[in-house]
Amino acid sequence: MTLHLPKLYGRTALALAAASALYSMPVAAQDQQPLIIARHLEINSLDPNRAFCDTCQIYLSSTYQGLVALDSDNKSIKPLLADSWEVNDDQTVFTFKLNPNAVFSDGSPVESKDVKWSYERLKNIKADPSFMMSLVKSIETPDPKTVVITMESPNSEFIGVLTAPYTGIINSDVASAAGAVSGPDAATSDTAEAWFQTHSAGSGPYVLKSYAPDDELRFVRNEKFWGAAPAINEVVIDETADAISQAQMLQSGAADIAMQIDPDTSKTISSPDVTIKTVPSYNFIYVMFSPGAEGNKAELTKEVRQALAYAIDYDGIIQFTVGGEGKPQASPIPNGFPGTTDLPMPVYDLEKAKSMLAEAGLADGFEVNATVAQLNVYGVDLVLLMQKLQQDLAKVNIKLNIQPVASAVWREQVTKPGVPFSARFYAPDYYGSAQYVQFFGMVPDSYWLTRAGQGKVDLLNQKETDLLSKAMAASDADRDGVYHEIALQMIEDRIIVPVVSPNLVLAYRNNIEGVRYSACCNLPLSELSRK
Amino acid sequence: MATYIARRLIAMPLLLLGVITLAFLLSHFTNADPLTSIVGERQMHNETVVAAAKARWGLDQPLPKQYVIYVKNLLSGDFGTSFRTKQPVAQDLLKRLPATLELVIAAMLVGSITGITLGVVAANFRDRAADHFARLFALLGASIPVFWSGLILLYIFSVSLGWLPGPGRLDPRSEAPPFITGMNTIDALIAGDFAKFGDALAHLALPALALGWTVTGIVSRMVRGSMLDVLGQEYILAARAKGAGRLRVLLNHALRNAILPTLTILGFSFAYLITGAILTETIFSWPGIGSYAVEAARGLDQPAIIGVTIVGGAAFLLTNLVTDLAYLAVDPRVKLGSRKAA
Repeated sequence: MTLHLPKLYGRTALALAAASALYSMPVAAQDQQPLIIARHLEINSLDPNRAFCDTCQIYLSSTYQGLVALDSDNKSIKPLLADSWEVNDDQTVFTFKLNPNAVFSDGSPVESKDVKWSYERLKNIKADPSFMMSLVKSIETPDPKTVVITMESPNSEFIGVLTAPYTGIINSDVASAAGAVSGPDAATSDTAEAWFQTHSAGSGPYVLKSYAPDDELRFVRNEKFWGAAPAINEVVIDETADAISQAQMLQSGAADIAMQIDPDTSKTISSPDVTIKTVPSYNFIYVMFSPGAEGNKAELTKEVRQALAYAIDYDGIIQFTVGGEGKPQASPIPNGFPGTTDLPMPVYDLEKAKSMLAEAGLADGFEVNATVAQLNVYGVDLVLLMQKLQQDLAKVNIKLNIQPVASAVWREQVTKPGVPFSARFYAPDYYGSAQYVQFFGMVPDSYWLTRAGQGKVDLLNQKETDLLSKAMAASDADRDGVYHEIALQMIEDRIIVPVVSPNLVLAYRNNIEGVRYSACCNLPLSELSRK
Repeated sequence: MATYIARRLIAMPLLLLGVITLAFLLSHFTNADPLTSIVGERQMHNETVVAAAKARWGLDQPLPKQYVIYVKNLLSGDFGTSFRTKQPVAQDLLKRLPATLELVIAAMLVGSITGITLGVVAANFRDRAADHFARLFALLGASIPVFWSGLILLYIFSVSLGWLPGPGRLDPRSEAPPFITGMNTIDALIAGDFAKFGDALAHLALPALALGWTVTGIVSRMVRGSMLDVLGQEYILAARAKGAGRLRVLLNHALRNAILPTLTILGFSFAYLITGAILTETIFSWPGIGSYAVEAARGLDQPAIIGVTIVGGAAFLLTNLVTDLAYLAVDPRVKLGSRKAA
């Protein structure tokens, strides 16, 4: 064998030169040119009843439709597949009339049987969003355009729940043919998840064109959409893992919108072609105590938890984690949600913290194991946050032993054996306060009641439980007041201590319109257009 | 030769079985339960749901039985189903392997061409400015972490100068060419779509440079050392005395004989890059085996983790074989199967 290196070099150089000459940005008509969104996909599933993630909210709200939708003020509810609805006085029976024009992407009409099938599958498949249908007792379909849903108990939040993209209506005939099951055995017999990874079966403005995990999620306009057609023909969510790469893509024009730019990175964007807006969000980061977790070296009583909450420098955390681009939050119900007006904001008071610890006989402090997932969420690095908390708590002689772990490991450990102290995040599924009480409150079946150690220590708050029942049966006029009382109870519990509600950075090219924050759906794709 | 290759190929499944067994055991002895990636966070305390998930994914079986079922399925090409993508792992790997191969081949081209060139130049100009420059360049390539060099290259050539595109394999506004090999550059050429070929090559340039630079460092130092040994040999002097040109002596006489140890390094580098392109693929949003491995590990996706390990093991075994065969082609002194003393 003879190596002809000079020739090889020459040919390689020629090929590279030719490629450079050939490389150019594809040209297409304006609304035909795909709109590119740079974002870390992190999708757990595209099955509407199994999906539960931020990108899932964008996907589902674009390809499926619920009976109702959240309006652009992030509070009001507007009709979608249902053009009218009625609720009985005790909030147990909900009757919906479907829009006669609504059709799925295959052109078949949206009927009451699809609503019944979709809600029953959501409940029975026992995945993350299944809790949204947990109170549903029965669903009747007196005619193809009428749905009557009866609850086990009053559920004043139900109409709000139906704005969550996870409650989108699925074309039951198409999905059933692909192995989807809605009956009581759905959790074990449904085989459609793989099919949903490559197909959508909704009535939304877009349909799924293709999904390549860790690469891209591609939507194309639903040609049979029964509403106003979206302005952009094709939308691509391009996997871009970190904020720096997203910013680079945005500045170079490779992306039209970057969705996970943190405040620090946004300050590095200097391109005049890019618009940066910072808006408040309902997302928040919290720390939590688990009095029943194994490994607690001191009893984390309510008084001790309250003392530790006083030792947290909230303003310092907001500066340290998001450069001041965030707000404190009073209770686990985010600012602006029902019941949060005039709640007392968290206070940093070292002296009070010390005196309360002294009263509890813990003036010399103690050690706490702090297991935290290695995540950067909404611009906040949870491990860095924990380091700041370590400094704060050291001032009251509390030694925080930080143990960073992978997110999956955190999920396992927090379930069993529990972690004494940690930090986590939350984003709303819809506009309504009950979801926060049911997740964070010390009420039966709450996620954090179990994980805080109910059973080993008694954490159930009966007053909070009674108030939740009252709120679920309350009229619109009375609801805010009840949630306010619940929020005060949750503040007193101090199992969950919100530390920052980070602002959201909206970053997009100047020629893009319609970029906004949606509390249920993140970014409504059908509202996007080019100037 | 044929017997030798056959013997090596027969040994490969046994070695792979060892890799599979190790990967299977290691992935089951992590300190985390893969159920957390299958069952929703809110349902982890629901025993019915947990039991259903275990049954669905075969996690309710004893470990030895899981192993036997897994190996049996492997024989029919079934690598299991990914907990994360919900697609067959074999399908995921087939989709991603070409992306990694395309990147690694390009990086190897960059690394070997620049490495060999710098090594030859450094040896020829020993202890002079060119040698010092080559040493510095090699040192930087070997010591700068690829996640940093990748970001810097992106900033300079994509953001500041705008000469090359940013992350990804293609402009996201365009779609991949029809799948033939899975390598976008080649598939675009086969399809006769030269604009897409240019786009694919331009996207390939920066990750290939970042990854190839790590190879450059090792190769250039290896070539320089070997060249200095060879250049001191008498036959080089004889060639020069016969009037052969300097470049001809360097490339055809010295380099050909000095290249042998470098082939070993290139072989190992190739296999290493296939499994080690993780950071580059992450920085450049390159949907290959590396990024698949990262996401699989993060999501406790056992079938995917084992699948990637098998591919990595197979890459090392195949590369070893190819490297050994390359020795035969380059150096006729190397004989196969000779056990007799010379």
